[in-house]
Amino acid sequence: MRLASWLTMRVAAAAATLIVLSAVVFWATEVLPGDAVGTSAGPDATDAERAAIRVSLGLDRPAGERYLEWIGQAVQGNLGESLLTGRKVSEVIGDRLLASVAVLLPAAVMIVVLAVVLGSAAGLRAGGRWDRALSAITLGLVGSSDFLLATGLLVVFTAWWPVLPAVALVPAGDELWQHPDLVALPAIALALGGFGAAMRLLRASVAQTTGTGFAEFARLNGVRGVRYVWMMVSNAAAPALHGLSIVLAGLLGGSIVVETLFNVPGVGFELSQAVAERDVPLVQGLSLTLGAATLAILLAGDLCAAMLGRHQASAPGGAR
Amino acid sequence: MTPRRLAVLMMSSFVLVIAVCGPWLSAVDPNTPVAGPFEPSSGAHPLGTDVLGRDTLARVLDGGRALIMQAAVATMLGSVIGLTVGLGAALTRRRTVARFAVLGVDAIAVFPAILLLLVLAAGLPGGGAAVVAASVVVSVPFSVRVIRECTTAIIATEHARSAWARGDALMVRLRHDVLPALAPAALAEAGIRFVAAVQLAATAGFLGLGASAPAANWGRMVQENSAGITVNPLPVLVPATLLVLLAVGVTFLLDHITGPLLGERDRVGPDLVGVTR
Repeated sequence: MRLASWLTMRVAAAAATLIVLSAVVFWATEVLPGDAVGTSAGPDATDAERAAIRVSLGLDRPAGERYLEWIGQAVQGNLGESLLTGRKVSEVIGDRLLASVAVLLPAAVMIVVLAVVLGSAAGLRAGGRWDRALSAITLGLVGSSDFLLATGLLVVFTAWWPVLPAVALVPAGDELWQHPDLVALPAIALALGGFGAAMRLLRASVAQTTGTGFAEFARLNGVRGVRYVWMMVSNAAAPALHGLSIVLAGLLGGSIVVETLFNVPGVGFELSQAVAERDVPLVQGLSLTLGAATLAILLAGDLCAAMLGRHQASAPGGAR
Repeated sequence: MTPRRLAVLMMSSFVLVIAVCGPWLSAVDPNTPVAGPFEPSSGAHPLGTDVLGRDTLARVLDGGRALIMQAAVATMLGSVIGLTVGLGAALTRRRTVARFAVLGVDAIAVFPAILLLLVLAAGLPGGGAAVVAASVVVSVPFSVRVIRECTTAIIATEHARSAWARGDALMVRLRHDVLPALAPAALAEAGIRFVAAVQLAATAGFLGLGASAPAANWGRMVQENSAGITVNPLPVLVPATLLVLLAVGVTFLLDHITGPLLGERDRVGPDLVGVTR
Protein backbone atom coordinates (compact mmCIF):
# COMPACT_ATOMS: atom_id res chain seq x y z
CA MET A 1 0.00 0.00 0.00
CA ARG A 2 2.81 2.37 0.90
CA LEU A 3 4.54 1.44 -2.34
CA ALA A 4 1.43 2.36 -4.33
CA SER A 5 1.15 5.85 -2.83
CA TRP A 6 4.90 6.35 -3.20
CA LEU A 7 4.63 5.35 -6.84
CA THR A 8 1.75 7.79 -7.42
CA MET A 9 3.86 10.58 -5.94
CA ARG A 10 6.81 9.71 -8.12
CA VAL A 11 4.74 9.55 -11.30
CA ALA A 12 3.14 12.89 -10.46
CA ALA A 13 6.59 14.43 -9.87
CA ALA A 14 7.84 13.05 -13.20
CA ALA A 15 4.78 14.47 -14.99
CA ALA A 16 5.36 17.87 -13.35
CA THR A 17 9.02 17.77 -14.44
CA LEU A 18 8.00 16.97 -18.00
CA ILE A 19 5.65 19.98 -17.96
CA VAL A 20 8.56 22.17 -16.79
CA LEU A 21 10.69 20.81 -19.65
CA SER A 22 7.93 21.45 -22.18
CA ALA A 23 7.73 25.06 -21.00
CA VAL A 24 11.52 25.43 -21.30
CA VAL A 25 11.49 23.88 -24.78
CA PHE A 26 8.65 26.12 -25.90
CA TRP A 27 10.24 29.23 -24.42
CA ALA A 28 13.64 28.46 -25.98
CA THR A 29 12.31 27.68 -29.44
CA GLU A 30 9.50 30.20 -29.81
CA VAL A 31 10.12 33.12 -27.47
CA LEU A 32 13.91 33.49 -27.72
CA PRO A 33 15.28 35.28 -30.82
CA GLY A 34 15.97 32.18 -32.94
CA ASP A 35 12.31 31.40 -33.70
CA ALA A 36 10.66 29.82 -36.72
CA VAL A 37 10.41 33.09 -38.69
CA GLY A 38 14.13 33.05 -39.48
CA THR A 39 13.84 29.53 -40.93
CA SER A 40 10.81 30.18 -43.07
CA ALA A 41 11.77 33.65 -44.26
CA GLY A 42 15.38 32.96 -45.25
CA PRO A 43 18.28 35.35 -44.69
CA ASP A 44 17.28 37.97 -47.31
CA ALA A 45 13.75 38.70 -46.09
CA THR A 46 12.72 42.28 -45.40
CA ASP A 47 11.15 43.32 -42.11
CA ALA A 48 7.70 43.49 -43.75
CA GLU A 49 8.02 39.95 -45.11
CA ARG A 50 9.16 38.69 -41.72
CA ALA A 51 6.18 40.37 -40.08
CA ALA A 52 3.82 38.76 -42.60
CA ILE A 53 5.29 35.31 -41.92
CA ARG A 54 5.03 35.98 -38.20
CA VAL A 55 1.30 36.62 -38.59
CA SER A 56 0.75 33.65 -40.92
CA LEU A 57 2.49 31.27 -38.48
CA GLY A 58 0.40 32.76 -35.66
CA LEU A 59 3.54 33.95 -33.82
CA ASP A 60 2.03 37.40 -33.11
CA ARG A 61 -0.32 35.92 -30.50
CA PRO A 62 0.67 35.86 -26.80
CA ALA A 63 3.20 33.15 -25.90
CA GLY A 64 1.08 31.71 -23.09
CA GLU A 65 -1.88 31.14 -25.40
CA ARG A 66 0.32 29.47 -28.03
CA TYR A 67 1.96 27.29 -25.38
CA LEU A 68 -1.41 25.99 -24.11
CA GLU A 69 -2.54 25.25 -27.66
CA TRP A 70 0.72 23.47 -28.47
CA ILE A 71 0.71 21.37 -25.29
CA GLY A 72 -2.97 20.50 -25.85
CA GLN A 73 -2.16 19.19 -29.33
CA ALA A 74 0.96 17.37 -28.07
CA VAL A 75 -1.07 15.49 -25.44
CA GLN A 76 -3.28 14.20 -28.26
CA GLY A 77 -0.18 12.99 -30.09
CA ASN A 78 -0.13 15.80 -32.66
CA LEU A 79 3.30 17.42 -32.57
CA GLY A 80 2.90 19.38 -35.79
CA GLU A 81 4.83 19.08 -39.04
CA SER A 82 8.46 19.65 -39.93
CA LEU A 83 9.03 23.13 -41.41
CA LEU A 84 11.48 21.79 -43.97
CA THR A 85 10.10 18.45 -45.15
CA GLY A 86 6.44 18.83 -44.17
CA ARG A 87 6.44 15.35 -42.59
CA LYS A 88 4.53 14.75 -39.39
CA VAL A 89 6.85 15.04 -36.39
CA SER A 90 5.32 11.98 -34.71
CA GLU A 91 6.06 9.95 -37.86
CA VAL A 92 9.69 11.11 -37.89
CA ILE A 93 10.06 10.15 -34.22
CA GLY A 94 8.56 6.70 -34.89
CA ASP A 95 11.03 6.16 -37.74
CA ARG A 96 14.06 7.23 -35.74
CA LEU A 97 13.29 5.54 -32.45
CA LEU A 98 14.18 2.02 -33.60
CA ALA A 99 17.68 3.01 -34.74
CA SER A 100 18.34 4.77 -31.41
CA VAL A 101 17.18 1.74 -29.42
CA ALA A 102 19.38 -0.51 -31.60
CA VAL A 103 22.42 1.43 -30.33
CA LEU A 104 21.26 2.21 -26.79
CA LEU A 105 20.21 -1.31 -25.80
CA PRO A 106 23.58 -3.03 -26.50
CA ALA A 107 25.32 -0.09 -24.82
CA ALA A 108 23.11 -0.45 -21.72
CA VAL A 109 23.74 -4.21 -21.57
CA MET A 110 27.50 -3.66 -21.84
CA ILE A 111 27.38 -1.04 -19.08
CA VAL A 112 25.44 -3.31 -16.72
CA VAL A 113 27.73 -6.31 -17.35
CA LEU A 114 30.97 -4.32 -17.06
CA ALA A 115 29.79 -2.40 -14.01
CA VAL A 116 28.59 -5.48 -12.15
CA VAL A 117 31.60 -7.70 -12.94
CA LEU A 118 34.35 -5.09 -12.49
CA GLY A 119 32.58 -3.24 -9.66
CA SER A 120 32.11 -6.44 -7.64
CA ALA A 121 35.66 -7.61 -8.31
CA ALA A 122 37.13 -4.27 -7.25
CA GLY A 123 34.83 -3.86 -4.25
CA LEU A 124 35.50 -7.34 -2.82
CA ARG A 125 39.25 -6.63 -2.90
CA ALA A 126 39.13 -2.91 -2.13
CA GLY A 127 42.60 -1.38 -2.00
CA GLY A 128 44.19 -4.17 -4.04
CA ARG A 129 46.17 -3.78 -7.24
CA TRP A 130 43.15 -4.47 -9.46
CA ASP A 131 41.08 -2.00 -7.54
CA ARG A 132 43.62 0.79 -7.93
CA ALA A 133 44.20 0.11 -11.62
CA LEU A 134 40.47 0.10 -12.34
CA SER A 135 40.02 3.23 -10.27
CA ALA A 136 42.60 5.10 -12.36
CA ILE A 137 41.15 3.86 -15.66
CA THR A 138 37.56 4.71 -14.82
CA LEU A 139 38.58 8.13 -13.54
CA GLY A 140 40.08 8.79 -16.96
CA LEU A 141 36.95 7.54 -18.73
CA VAL A 142 34.59 9.54 -16.51
CA GLY A 143 36.73 12.63 -17.10
CA SER A 144 36.76 12.44 -20.90
CA SER A 145 33.64 13.49 -22.71
CA ASP A 146 31.76 11.23 -25.09
CA PHE A 147 32.83 12.93 -28.27
CA LEU A 148 36.51 12.39 -27.45
CA LEU A 149 36.00 8.70 -26.65
CA ALA A 150 33.93 8.25 -29.79
CA THR A 151 36.49 10.06 -31.97
CA GLY A 152 39.25 7.97 -30.40
CA LEU A 153 37.44 4.76 -31.29
CA LEU A 154 36.78 6.11 -34.76
CA VAL A 155 40.47 6.81 -35.31
CA VAL A 156 41.62 3.44 -33.98
CA PHE A 157 39.05 1.27 -35.72
CA THR A 158 38.79 3.01 -39.05
CA ALA A 159 42.16 4.61 -39.76
CA TRP A 160 44.76 2.50 -37.95
CA TRP A 161 43.08 -0.89 -37.70
CA PRO A 162 40.23 -0.78 -40.22
CA VAL A 163 37.90 -3.59 -39.16
CA LEU A 164 34.67 -1.67 -38.54
CA PRO A 165 32.79 0.83 -40.73
CA ALA A 166 33.16 4.48 -39.69
CA VAL A 167 29.74 5.63 -40.78
CA ALA A 168 26.53 3.71 -40.22
CA LEU A 169 25.20 3.52 -43.78
CA VAL A 170 22.14 1.31 -43.49
CA PRO A 171 21.18 -0.37 -46.80
CA ALA A 172 17.75 0.76 -48.02
CA GLY A 173 14.89 -1.32 -46.65
CA ASP A 174 16.96 -2.70 -43.75
CA GLU A 175 16.83 -1.69 -40.11
CA LEU A 176 19.96 -0.77 -38.16
CA TRP A 177 19.64 -3.68 -35.68
CA GLN A 178 20.09 -6.15 -38.54
CA HIS A 179 23.69 -4.95 -38.94
CA PRO A 180 25.69 -5.59 -35.73
CA ASP A 181 28.90 -4.30 -37.34
CA LEU A 182 27.30 -0.86 -37.76
CA VAL A 183 26.01 -0.86 -34.17
CA ALA A 184 29.31 -1.95 -32.60
CA LEU A 185 31.34 1.29 -32.60
CA PRO A 186 28.57 3.69 -31.43
CA ALA A 187 27.46 1.24 -28.72
CA ILE A 188 31.02 0.67 -27.46
CA ALA A 189 31.63 4.43 -27.40
CA LEU A 190 28.53 4.97 -25.25
CA ALA A 191 29.36 2.05 -22.96
CA LEU A 192 32.95 3.26 -22.37
CA GLY A 193 31.70 6.68 -21.36
CA GLY A 194 28.99 5.35 -19.08
CA PHE A 195 30.26 2.32 -17.20
CA GLY A 196 32.91 4.14 -15.14
CA ALA A 197 30.52 6.01 -12.87
CA ALA A 198 28.22 3.00 -12.41
CA MET A 199 31.16 0.74 -11.66
CA ARG A 200 32.62 3.10 -9.06
CA LEU A 201 29.29 3.36 -7.26
CA LEU A 202 28.86 -0.42 -7.07
CA ARG A 203 32.49 -0.78 -5.97
CA ALA A 204 32.00 1.68 -3.11
CA SER A 205 28.77 -0.01 -2.08
CA VAL A 206 30.29 -3.51 -2.16
CA ALA A 207 33.36 -2.34 -0.25
CA GLN A 208 31.08 -0.83 2.40
CA THR A 209 29.03 -4.04 2.63
CA THR A 210 32.11 -6.27 3.09
CA GLY A 211 33.08 -4.09 6.04
CA THR A 212 29.80 -4.60 7.93
CA GLY A 213 29.29 -6.93 10.89
CA PHE A 214 27.07 -9.39 9.05
CA ALA A 215 29.68 -9.83 6.31
CA GLU A 216 32.33 -10.68 8.89
CA PHE A 217 29.88 -13.06 10.59
CA ALA A 218 29.27 -14.79 7.23
CA ARG A 219 33.01 -15.11 6.63
CA LEU A 220 33.58 -16.54 10.12
CA ASN A 221 30.79 -19.04 9.47
CA GLY A 222 32.66 -20.30 6.43
CA VAL A 223 30.52 -18.72 3.69
CA ARG A 224 32.85 -18.76 0.70
CA GLY A 225 33.03 -18.52 -3.06
CA VAL A 226 30.03 -17.76 -5.23
CA ARG A 227 27.63 -17.73 -2.26
CA TYR A 228 29.68 -15.09 -0.45
CA VAL A 229 30.02 -12.94 -3.59
CA TRP A 230 26.27 -13.12 -4.21
CA MET A 231 25.53 -12.26 -0.57
CA MET A 232 27.71 -9.15 -0.73
CA VAL A 233 26.68 -7.96 -4.18
CA SER A 234 22.93 -8.45 -3.70
CA ASN A 235 23.06 -6.47 -0.47
CA ALA A 236 25.12 -3.72 -2.08
CA ALA A 237 22.95 -3.45 -5.18
CA ALA A 238 20.19 -1.07 -4.07
CA PRO A 239 22.23 2.15 -3.73
CA ALA A 240 24.21 1.36 -6.89
CA LEU A 241 21.01 0.71 -8.83
CA HIS A 242 19.92 4.30 -8.37
CA GLY A 243 23.26 5.47 -9.77
CA LEU A 244 22.95 3.02 -12.65
CA SER A 245 19.59 4.48 -13.65
CA ILE A 246 21.13 7.96 -13.70
CA VAL A 247 23.97 6.66 -15.89
CA LEU A 248 21.51 4.99 -18.27
CA ALA A 249 19.42 8.15 -18.49
CA GLY A 250 22.62 10.08 -19.24
CA LEU A 251 23.21 7.73 -22.19
CA LEU A 252 20.42 9.52 -24.01
CA GLY A 253 22.51 12.71 -23.93
CA GLY A 254 25.62 10.86 -25.06
CA SER A 255 23.64 9.24 -27.86
CA ILE A 256 23.05 12.67 -29.42
CA VAL A 257 26.82 13.11 -29.84
CA VAL A 258 27.58 9.54 -30.82
CA GLU A 259 24.75 9.33 -33.35
CA THR A 260 25.88 12.60 -34.92
CA LEU A 261 29.48 11.41 -35.20
CA PHE A 262 28.68 7.97 -36.64
CA ASN A 263 25.68 9.13 -38.71
CA VAL A 264 23.34 6.72 -36.91
CA PRO A 265 19.84 7.66 -38.15
CA GLY A 266 18.41 7.98 -34.62
CA VAL A 267 16.50 10.50 -32.53
CA GLY A 268 19.64 12.28 -31.33
CA PHE A 269 21.07 12.67 -34.83
CA GLU A 270 17.73 14.03 -36.06
CA LEU A 271 17.63 16.48 -33.14
CA SER A 272 21.07 17.93 -33.81
CA GLN A 273 20.15 18.28 -37.49
CA ALA A 274 16.86 19.96 -36.60
CA VAL A 275 18.66 22.45 -34.31
CA ALA A 276 21.17 23.26 -37.06
CA GLU A 277 18.31 23.90 -39.49
CA ARG A 278 16.06 25.66 -36.91
CA ASP A 279 13.20 23.29 -37.65
CA VAL A 280 11.19 24.37 -34.60
CA PRO A 281 8.36 21.75 -34.47
CA LEU A 282 10.90 18.96 -34.96
CA VAL A 283 13.16 20.31 -32.20
CA GLN A 284 10.18 20.52 -29.85
CA GLY A 285 8.90 17.03 -30.59
CA LEU A 286 12.29 15.31 -30.44
CA SER A 287 13.43 17.03 -27.26
CA LEU A 288 10.13 16.21 -25.52
CA THR A 289 10.55 12.56 -26.59
CA LEU A 290 14.10 12.39 -25.22
CA GLY A 291 13.00 14.16 -22.02
CA ALA A 292 10.12 11.74 -21.49
CA ALA A 293 12.45 8.77 -22.10
CA THR A 294 14.92 10.14 -19.52
CA LEU A 295 12.18 10.46 -16.92
CA ALA A 296 10.88 6.95 -17.66
CA ILE A 297 14.36 5.45 -17.11
CA LEU A 298 14.86 7.32 -13.83
CA LEU A 299 11.41 6.27 -12.65
CA ALA A 300 12.09 2.62 -13.47
CA GLY A 301 15.44 2.82 -11.63
CA ASP A 302 13.79 4.33 -8.54
CA LEU A 303 11.11 1.66 -8.59
CA CYS A 304 13.66 -1.18 -8.81
CA ALA A 305 15.75 0.33 -6.01
CA ALA A 306 12.65 0.73 -3.84
CA MET A 307 11.62 -2.90 -4.37
CA LEU A 308 15.14 -4.15 -3.58
CA GLY A 309 15.18 -1.98 -0.47
CA ARG A 310 11.81 -3.31 0.64
CA HIS A 311 12.98 -6.87 0.19
CA GLN A 312 16.01 -6.11 2.31
CA ALA A 313 14.12 -4.50 5.16
CA SER A 314 11.99 -7.62 5.58
CA ALA A 315 14.90 -10.03 5.14
CA PRO A 316 15.91 -11.99 8.26
CA GLY A 317 18.82 -10.37 10.02
CA GLY A 318 18.00 -6.90 8.70
CA ALA A 319 20.97 -6.82 6.38
CA ARG A 320 21.65 -3.16 5.97
CA MET B 1 52.31 16.98 -2.35
CA THR B 2 53.68 13.83 -3.94
CA PRO B 3 55.76 14.05 -7.15
CA ARG B 4 52.97 12.37 -9.11
CA ARG B 5 50.38 14.92 -8.03
CA LEU B 6 52.81 17.72 -8.79
CA ALA B 7 53.26 16.34 -12.32
CA VAL B 8 49.50 16.16 -12.83
CA LEU B 9 49.10 19.69 -11.48
CA MET B 10 51.77 20.97 -13.88
CA MET B 11 50.05 19.19 -16.76
CA SER B 12 46.65 20.73 -16.06
CA SER B 13 48.12 24.19 -15.51
CA PHE B 14 50.03 23.85 -18.78
CA VAL B 15 46.76 23.24 -20.67
CA LEU B 16 45.09 26.17 -18.89
CA VAL B 17 48.01 28.48 -19.74
CA ILE B 18 47.94 27.42 -23.42
CA ALA B 19 44.21 28.02 -23.54
CA VAL B 20 44.21 31.43 -21.89
CA CYS B 21 47.46 32.89 -23.27
CA GLY B 22 47.46 31.06 -26.62
CA PRO B 23 45.86 33.83 -28.71
CA TRP B 24 48.69 36.19 -27.67
CA LEU B 25 51.44 33.69 -28.45
CA SER B 26 50.46 32.89 -32.00
CA ALA B 27 52.15 34.82 -34.81
CA VAL B 28 50.10 33.31 -37.66
CA ASP B 29 46.46 34.21 -38.33
CA PRO B 30 44.37 31.16 -37.37
CA ASN B 31 41.73 31.77 -40.05
CA THR B 32 43.83 32.24 -43.23
CA PRO B 33 44.76 29.25 -45.37
CA VAL B 34 48.55 29.06 -45.64
CA ALA B 35 49.10 25.77 -47.51
CA GLY B 36 47.22 22.77 -48.91
CA PRO B 37 44.82 20.82 -46.66
CA PHE B 38 46.17 18.24 -44.18
CA GLU B 39 49.85 18.84 -44.91
CA PRO B 40 52.09 16.98 -42.43
CA SER B 41 54.23 18.88 -39.95
CA SER B 42 57.10 20.88 -41.38
CA GLY B 43 59.46 23.63 -40.28
CA ALA B 44 57.04 26.41 -41.19
CA HIS B 45 53.99 24.63 -39.73
CA PRO B 46 55.08 22.49 -36.75
CA LEU B 47 51.68 20.75 -36.50
CA GLY B 48 50.91 20.80 -40.22
CA THR B 49 47.72 22.21 -41.66
CA ASP B 50 44.02 21.45 -41.16
CA VAL B 51 41.06 20.71 -43.43
CA LEU B 52 41.16 24.17 -45.08
CA GLY B 53 44.94 24.45 -45.13
CA ARG B 54 45.11 26.67 -42.05
CA ASP B 55 48.02 26.46 -39.61
CA THR B 56 47.11 23.88 -36.95
CA LEU B 57 49.38 25.34 -34.27
CA ALA B 58 47.77 28.77 -34.62
CA ARG B 59 44.31 27.24 -34.37
CA VAL B 60 45.24 25.17 -31.31
CA LEU B 61 46.60 28.30 -29.62
CA ASP B 62 43.48 30.25 -30.56
CA GLY B 63 40.84 27.61 -29.85
CA GLY B 64 40.99 27.10 -26.10
CA ARG B 65 40.24 30.50 -24.64
CA ALA B 66 36.55 30.58 -25.57
CA LEU B 67 36.02 27.19 -23.91
CA ILE B 68 37.80 28.21 -20.71
CA MET B 69 35.96 31.55 -20.57
CA GLN B 70 32.53 29.97 -21.08
CA ALA B 71 33.33 27.35 -18.46
CA ALA B 72 34.66 29.94 -16.00
CA VAL B 73 31.59 32.15 -16.35
CA ALA B 74 29.28 29.14 -15.97
CA THR B 75 31.20 27.93 -12.90
CA MET B 76 31.05 31.32 -11.21
CA LEU B 77 27.35 31.80 -11.93
CA GLY B 78 26.74 28.26 -10.71
CA SER B 79 28.68 28.92 -7.50
CA VAL B 80 26.72 32.11 -6.80
CA ILE B 81 23.37 30.35 -7.28
CA GLY B 82 24.55 27.19 -5.52
CA LEU B 83 25.83 29.09 -2.47
CA THR B 84 22.70 31.26 -2.27
CA VAL B 85 20.17 28.45 -2.56
CA GLY B 86 22.27 25.89 -0.67
CA LEU B 87 23.04 28.17 2.30
CA GLY B 88 19.49 29.50 2.28
CA ALA B 89 17.98 26.03 2.29
CA ALA B 90 20.27 24.88 5.11
CA LEU B 91 19.90 27.96 7.30
CA THR B 92 16.22 28.82 6.90
CA ARG B 93 13.67 27.64 9.42
CA ARG B 94 10.98 27.47 6.75
CA ARG B 95 11.50 23.81 5.94
CA THR B 96 8.78 23.60 3.27
CA VAL B 97 10.12 26.56 1.30
CA ALA B 98 13.62 25.09 1.43
CA ARG B 99 12.38 21.71 0.27
CA PHE B 100 10.52 23.16 -2.68
CA ALA B 101 13.46 25.36 -3.67
CA VAL B 102 15.73 22.31 -3.80
CA LEU B 103 13.10 20.24 -5.62
CA GLY B 104 12.61 23.00 -8.18
CA VAL B 105 16.33 23.29 -8.85
CA ASP B 106 16.57 19.51 -9.16
CA ALA B 107 13.67 19.16 -11.56
CA ILE B 108 15.24 20.40 -14.76
CA ALA B 109 18.65 18.86 -14.12
CA VAL B 110 17.39 15.31 -14.59
CA PHE B 111 17.56 15.94 -18.32
CA PRO B 112 20.83 15.28 -20.17
CA ALA B 113 23.02 18.37 -20.51
CA ILE B 114 23.37 17.98 -24.26
CA LEU B 115 19.58 17.90 -24.68
CA LEU B 116 19.25 21.19 -22.79
CA LEU B 117 22.22 22.58 -24.69
CA LEU B 118 20.58 21.81 -28.04
CA VAL B 119 17.20 23.22 -26.96
CA LEU B 120 18.80 26.44 -25.73
CA ALA B 121 21.03 26.66 -28.81
CA ALA B 122 17.91 26.53 -30.97
CA GLY B 123 16.76 29.74 -29.29
CA LEU B 124 20.12 31.49 -28.88
CA PRO B 125 22.01 30.66 -32.07
CA GLY B 126 25.63 31.52 -32.72
CA GLY B 127 26.92 32.50 -29.30
CA GLY B 128 28.32 31.24 -26.05
CA ALA B 129 25.18 32.16 -24.11
CA ALA B 130 23.45 28.83 -24.74
CA VAL B 131 26.55 26.94 -23.62
CA VAL B 132 26.86 28.96 -20.41
CA ALA B 133 23.13 28.72 -19.67
CA ALA B 134 23.04 24.95 -20.21
CA SER B 135 26.14 24.45 -18.03
CA VAL B 136 24.64 26.50 -15.22
CA VAL B 137 21.24 24.81 -15.35
CA VAL B 138 22.57 21.26 -15.27
CA SER B 139 25.28 21.81 -12.66
CA VAL B 140 23.50 24.02 -10.12
CA PRO B 141 21.59 21.15 -8.42
CA PHE B 142 24.89 19.37 -7.72
CA SER B 143 26.25 22.55 -6.18
CA VAL B 144 23.09 23.16 -4.14
CA ARG B 145 23.11 19.65 -2.74
CA VAL B 146 26.79 19.65 -1.78
CA ILE B 147 26.61 23.11 -0.19
CA ARG B 148 23.39 22.30 1.63
CA GLU B 149 24.67 18.99 3.03
CA CYS B 150 27.96 20.52 4.16
CA THR B 151 26.24 23.54 5.71
CA THR B 152 23.77 21.32 7.56
CA ALA B 153 26.72 19.42 9.04
CA ILE B 154 28.57 22.65 9.92
CA ILE B 155 25.67 24.33 11.74
CA ALA B 156 25.22 21.20 13.84
CA THR B 157 28.74 21.56 15.30
CA GLU B 158 29.29 22.81 18.88
CA HIS B 159 30.88 26.13 17.95
CA ALA B 160 28.18 26.99 15.42
CA ARG B 161 25.42 26.09 17.86
CA SER B 162 26.93 28.18 20.64
CA ALA B 163 27.27 31.13 18.26
CA TRP B 164 23.60 30.75 17.42
CA ALA B 165 22.69 30.38 21.12
CA ARG B 166 24.46 33.57 22.15
CA GLY B 167 22.50 35.42 19.49
CA ASP B 168 25.16 36.30 16.92
CA ALA B 169 23.75 37.98 13.81
CA LEU B 170 23.30 35.83 10.73
CA MET B 171 26.08 37.58 8.79
CA VAL B 172 28.51 37.18 11.70
CA ARG B 173 27.72 33.48 11.94
CA LEU B 174 28.18 33.09 8.19
CA ARG B 175 31.46 34.97 8.22
CA HIS B 176 33.07 33.28 11.23
CA ASP B 177 31.40 29.89 11.64
CA VAL B 178 29.99 28.66 8.34
CA LEU B 179 32.01 29.99 5.40
CA PRO B 180 35.54 29.09 6.61
CA ALA B 181 34.49 25.49 7.13
CA LEU B 182 32.53 25.42 3.90
CA ALA B 183 35.27 26.83 1.66
CA PRO B 184 37.15 23.57 0.82
CA ALA B 185 33.98 21.75 -0.20
CA ALA B 186 32.72 24.76 -2.17
CA LEU B 187 36.02 25.04 -4.07
CA ALA B 188 36.17 21.32 -4.77
CA GLU B 189 32.65 21.16 -6.14
CA ALA B 190 33.33 24.27 -8.23
CA GLY B 191 36.39 22.49 -9.67
CA ILE B 192 34.30 19.47 -10.62
CA ARG B 193 31.73 21.73 -12.27
CA PHE B 194 34.47 23.62 -14.11
CA VAL B 195 35.77 20.44 -15.74
CA ALA B 196 32.24 19.41 -16.67
CA ALA B 197 31.59 22.87 -18.16
CA VAL B 198 34.78 22.75 -20.26
CA GLN B 199 33.70 19.38 -21.60
CA LEU B 200 30.22 20.66 -22.38
CA ALA B 201 31.63 23.72 -24.15
CA ALA B 202 33.90 21.47 -26.23
CA THR B 203 30.96 19.20 -27.02
CA ALA B 204 29.00 22.25 -28.16
CA GLY B 205 31.86 23.16 -30.51
CA PHE B 206 31.96 19.57 -31.71
CA LEU B 207 28.24 19.69 -32.53
CA GLY B 208 28.72 23.00 -34.37
CA LEU B 209 26.95 25.13 -31.73
CA GLY B 210 28.52 28.10 -29.96
CA ALA B 211 30.56 30.70 -31.87
CA SER B 212 30.11 30.40 -35.63
CA ALA B 213 32.28 28.66 -38.18
CA PRO B 214 35.69 30.25 -38.78
CA ALA B 215 36.44 30.76 -35.07
CA ALA B 216 38.81 28.09 -33.79
CA ASN B 217 37.51 25.80 -31.03
CA TRP B 218 39.16 22.61 -29.74
CA GLY B 219 35.87 20.74 -29.90
CA ARG B 220 35.12 21.83 -33.44
CA MET B 221 38.71 21.09 -34.56
CA VAL B 222 38.20 17.45 -33.60
CA GLN B 223 35.03 17.34 -35.68
CA GLU B 224 36.11 19.25 -38.78
CA ASN B 225 39.48 17.51 -39.13
CA SER B 226 38.45 13.91 -38.47
CA ALA B 227 38.04 13.36 -42.23
CA GLY B 228 41.79 13.75 -42.76
CA ILE B 229 42.89 11.60 -39.85
CA THR B 230 44.91 9.23 -42.05
CA VAL B 231 46.76 12.09 -43.77
CA ASN B 232 47.56 14.38 -40.85
CA PRO B 233 46.20 13.20 -37.48
CA LEU B 234 47.68 16.14 -35.55
CA PRO B 235 44.75 18.61 -36.02
CA VAL B 236 42.52 16.03 -34.26
CA LEU B 237 44.97 14.53 -31.79
CA VAL B 238 46.45 17.75 -30.35
CA PRO B 239 43.16 19.47 -29.31
CA ALA B 240 41.70 16.11 -28.15
CA THR B 241 44.79 15.40 -26.04
CA LEU B 242 44.67 18.86 -24.48
CA LEU B 243 41.02 18.39 -23.51
CA VAL B 244 41.69 14.94 -22.04
CA LEU B 245 44.77 16.16 -20.13
CA LEU B 246 42.79 18.99 -18.58
CA ALA B 247 39.78 16.88 -17.64
CA VAL B 248 41.67 13.88 -16.33
CA GLY B 249 44.25 16.05 -14.58
CA VAL B 250 41.74 18.15 -12.67
CA THR B 251 39.56 15.11 -11.91
CA PHE B 252 42.60 13.22 -10.57
CA LEU B 253 43.69 16.14 -8.39
CA LEU B 254 40.21 16.69 -7.01
CA ASP B 255 39.65 12.97 -6.47
CA HIS B 256 42.31 12.92 -3.75
CA ILE B 257 41.05 16.11 -2.16
CA THR B 258 37.35 15.44 -2.45
CA GLY B 259 37.38 11.77 -1.41
CA PRO B 260 37.13 12.41 2.33
CA LEU B 261 35.28 15.69 1.76
CA LEU B 262 32.36 14.73 -0.44
CA GLY B 263 31.99 10.94 -0.24
CA GLU B 264 31.85 8.52 -3.16
CA ARG B 265 28.46 9.62 -4.49
CA ASP B 266 29.53 13.19 -5.14
CA ARG B 267 33.11 12.53 -6.04
CA VAL B 268 32.50 10.43 -9.13
CA GLY B 269 29.23 12.21 -9.49
CA PRO B 270 26.70 10.02 -11.23
CA ASP B 271 24.76 13.27 -11.18
CA LEU B 272 27.62 14.78 -13.10
CA VAL B 273 27.30 12.15 -15.76
CA GLY B 274 24.27 14.22 -16.64
CA VAL B 275 26.41 17.33 -16.65
CA THR B 276 28.97 16.19 -19.17
CA ARG B 277 26.83 13.78 -21.12
